[in-house]
Amino acid sequence: MLDRFFYREKGLFLQSLHPLSALVYIAVLLTLALMFNHPLYLLGLLSITVAAVKAVGGFDAWKAFLKISLGATSVIIIVNVLTVRAGQTVLWGGPHIPVFGRLDVSLEAILFGAVMGLRLLLIMSIFCLYNFMIHPDRVLDLLSRFSSKSGLVLSLAARMFPAVVSRIDGIREALTARGVDFNAGTLKEKMSKYAVLMKILLLTFLEDSMETAEAMYARAFGSGRRSCYVRENLRPRDGACLAASLIALVTAVYGWSKGLGTFGFYPQAGNLIDGRTGIGFLFAVIFLLSFPLLLSWGWHIWPFLKSKI
Amino acid sequence: MAVFEIKNLTYFYPESPRPALKDVNMSIEEGEFLLVTGGSGSGKSSLARVLAGLIPGFSGGRISGSVFFRGKDIEQIDRRTMAREVGIVFQDPEKQLVKTSVEAEIAFGPENLGLPQQEMARRVAEVMSFLGLADLRREFTAKLSGGQKQKLALAAVLAMQPSVLILDEPTSQLDPVAAEDFLNVVKRLNEDMGMTVILIEQRLERCFHLADRVVIMEDGRIKFEGTPEQVARRAAFCENPFIPPVASFFGKAGFDTIPVTVKEGRRVLRQNFNPASGNLFMKSLKRVHESEPILRMDGVWFTYPDGREALQDINLKISAGEMVAVIGPNGSGKSTLLKNMAGLLKPGRGQVILTGGRQESSPDRTTWDPSVGYLSQNPNDYLFQDTVEEELLYTLKNFGTGSTGAVDEIIEKLSLRDFRHVNPRDLSYGERQRVALASVLVTGPKLLLLDEPTKGLDYRLKEDLGEVLAEFCGRGASVVLTTHDVEFAAKYASRVILLFGGRVICDGPVHQVLSDSIFYSTQIGRMCRGFADGILTPEEALDVFKPAVVNN
Amino acid sequence: MKKVLSKILFWSGFGIIPVFMAAAMSGKTTISGEWGVAAYIVIFAAIALMYLGFELETSSPREIAVIAVLGAVGAAGRIAFAALPNVQPTTFIAISSGYVFGPTAGFMVGSTAALVSNFFLGQGPWTPWQMFAWGLAGSSAGMVKSLSPRIGRWGMAFFCLLWGYFFGWILNLWSWIGFVKPLNWQSFIAVCAASFWFDTLHAAGNAAFCLLFGPGFMKILERFRHKMEVT
Repeated sequence: MLDRFFYREKGLFLQSLHPLSALVYIAVLLTLALMFNHPLYLLGLLSITVAAVKAVGGFDAWKAFLKISLGATSVIIIVNVLTVRAGQTVLWGGPHIPVFGRLDVSLEAILFGAVMGLRLLLIMSIFCLYNFMIHPDRVLDLLSRFSSKSGLVLSLAARMFPAVVSRIDGIREALTARGVDFNAGTLKEKMSKYAVLMKILLLTFLEDSMETAEAMYARAFGSGRRSCYVRENLRPRDGACLAASLIALVTAVYGWSKGLGTFGFYPQAGNLIDGRTGIGFLFAVIFLLSFPLLLSWGWHIWPFLKSKI
Repeated sequence: MAVFEIKNLTYFYPESPRPALKDVNMSIEEGEFLLVTGGSGSGKSSLARVLAGLIPGFSGGRISGSVFFRGKDIEQIDRRTMAREVGIVFQDPEKQLVKTSVEAEIAFGPENLGLPQQEMARRVAEVMSFLGLADLRREFTAKLSGGQKQKLALAAVLAMQPSVLILDEPTSQLDPVAAEDFLNVVKRLNEDMGMTVILIEQRLERCFHLADRVVIMEDGRIKFEGTPEQVARRAAFCENPFIPPVASFFGKAGFDTIPVTVKEGRRVLRQNFNPASGNLFMKSLKRVHESEPILRMDGVWFTYPDGREALQDINLKISAGEMVAVIGPNGSGKSTLLKNMAGLLKPGRGQVILTGGRQESSPDRTTWDPSVGYLSQNPNDYLFQDTVEEELLYTLKNFGTGSTGAVDEIIEKLSLRDFRHVNPRDLSYGERQRVALASVLVTGPKLLLLDEPTKGLDYRLKEDLGEVLAEFCGRGASVVLTTHDVEFAAKYASRVILLFGGRVICDGPVHQVLSDSIFYSTQIGRMCRGFADGILTPEEALDVFKPAVVNN
Repeated sequence: MKKVLSKILFWSGFGIIPVFMAAAMSGKTTISGEWGVAAYIVIFAAIALMYLGFELETSSPREIAVIAVLGAVGAAGRIAFAALPNVQPTTFIAISSGYVFGPTAGFMVGSTAALVSNFFLGQGPWTPWQMFAWGLAGSSAGMVKSLSPRIGRWGMAFFCLLWGYFFGWILNLWSWIGFVKPLNWQSFIAVCAASFWFDTLHAAGNAAFCLLFGPGFMKILERFRHKMEVT
């Protein structure tokens, strides 16, 4: 399992986007997720993101992200309850604690914590989408265009990672054959066994790195100005998705500066829908952001669209 | 004009008192296919690195004498020009690839040369179609097979469009099929594209006849030089001939012509012998005496977690004193079989019983039984101490038997005396393998399991290994080894098991299994088929044919 | 000139974070969302600056290959030690590489280990913070060497111990900024308290690892640094 990327190539529409437009789409989602704190907005963004995750075939992996988020949500609620004094509806008046002051548990703080948990889940889902939408190769290629050296370090390390993992298994077997039992002993003994493993691993791969460097040298690496091999295509779909994402961002920032999409938690939680909600505005943003999804859907069911975008 | 002109070249690696190359003089012509061979440490790899401009530019060290590339002193040529004109492919495909995808890997060289996009796109496309890599263009380089990786390394060099191609033992890490495939591409590059090829190689059966000229190196010097036939004639009587078995046989038998391939060899045999009078010889099969088995496998099945059924219904007995070679294509389950014998993997169904072990008959051993020794494909996995001695003591300490007498004995037996206080990581590959073997043998196992021990070894090192193992078996212990090297199996093994798709296809005495086979036979075996069956090695062939030649 | 520029870029990458934290804490009334966006912008900017610093340095193919190898080993170390709870050799590898090969190399090893392991384990919102934290661990070890070359075994162990906590706190930053309100030092302490036991285990693992095997590892790295210098 560790010998291949988390990403899975499935030839889907969203995976065929130019990495730049895919990255912009993800970045806009992330920005909006961190900008709005209105539960309805967060729910709207979450539904698009999860739909997109489904569209790139990452729903099973998303469930794991969901589990992590639920665990972290409880921590967020506790911390907020502990530190927030602004809530009016006090459910339980606690004792005085050094550093933090009086411990009052307010309904508002719990509500805020829960909404923040929703935001966490949203952000996790956005990263989950990223994992399945963009091939690491393409990010590395993009990076190499700006910084050839760090790009090379990353791709070299990524290329070697599966080899390192399988070498670990090999060394473990070799040591077992020399009488090392990795399951026995105290924690200290176990650690020393693993340290031997790590030592062999380091020695072997550092030795190999000298030969890798030689191969790089022989292929003229560092002999002067480099050029950059580009294999990405810009298609009409990229323009469309890029435009939709950027318009969504501009719209959202405009609306947000007008006070839309913010929810007042303190001192008393406001109504879910009121003047500051801007339902129409919410729908506009959601529609713009679901544009790539609509295209994806159309692309998969309509051959005509396939050849045109 | 010669492509390369080398005059009085001497070279020392940094911090090394011994020269790697001593006073080498030679010239290499345009379009030539030059084969450079010799034992490890003979200086052939250093020569390759000088020609590729890596010495002293990359490796440092001291160099004297001069090397001219197309009439120009190599030190006057800038690095970029050198890298563009002379391409080099190294031994281990694992260590030369730097990018995550096939396409990016091929484009890496052209990028470093600063070529424009259009030119790069053309070169990448051309090279991919020439080498049949187009289908793999988006593939993750770490997931490719060894043969594919090496082809990719070649592609990455070819994309720089060099006029000279240097290959430093490119097939030593590949299985025979991939090696053959690779050498065919090299041959095409020389014949169809007119590329000058300098091939450094130790496995000669497949490439000796391809060369226009052969150079044999020894101890940093050129020992023999000439056409394959000339070299074969002169080298035939040396101790380590570095010529293919067929040529070695004809040379020693005293024939006038020295053929270097099976086809020519059969032609010569036909002229001298009557094939109808075949079956001149059938070596009396070494009787495998039915002694008490050391290891028994009863109906063993093994399935990997990903669902791959690697072993299917294996029933085997390994008797004391046997040397068993397990052969078969890649992925046939050879390593898995060995690991099941070792107890590193537990069979899903069936039993592996160690009868000669110190702990009698324990199908589910949890701790390692010191009566079994296991040497993996990678000797480096065994080396981390500061000295060879400590390496052996480490194993002893783990088994709680700290007698230094055993250390002395093993060091003596594997002729490691000179390295006793040397850091094992400062040794050469062959020496490292011996240290790793010693670190396993030091507990005095009854059964020794070796995974691909012949990989990357030259003729002499293989012979040394064979002798050590034969001596080990002579003392009543058993050896099971996997190998792709049929020549080695023919010479040393007493029994051969052919695996295919996780099943035992064939199991029997070495002469029976290998001479019945068409593909898993030795060069001599293929040549002698129809003239004298059951012959596998040049020595056996000499026994049969030499009297006949002398009589003629 | 280029060298100076690369140094400036590299260290300004570090400078951003404390400045940003102070800013976030000062504006108590600011909506947390605002800082959330800013936090990601800042962390990406910091990493980008440091990469740029590395980019402008002159490095040989050998240095590149060694950094990549250490990064890959560090990444795989996350998995190799899964059997031992909370012993994460990645931190230690970043620290020892930084100590032997210098601050820039240390940063590259640490951040590469984080990013590359996540290519295979899955990227999450923590990725940039991990890159920064492990990278900083490596760089600071390089600084320690130039400040006090004779830090000794116990000093090094203490340094590794500290990094167990620092690493946790840096990772807490993103959850604190994104999901907690108000942003003040009390709430930051609360977040760190929540992860205290986890961080302590990490710290203890680091220190133990360093005490037991530090010298052996350093020796290996020094051996290769020597090899790189000889040629």
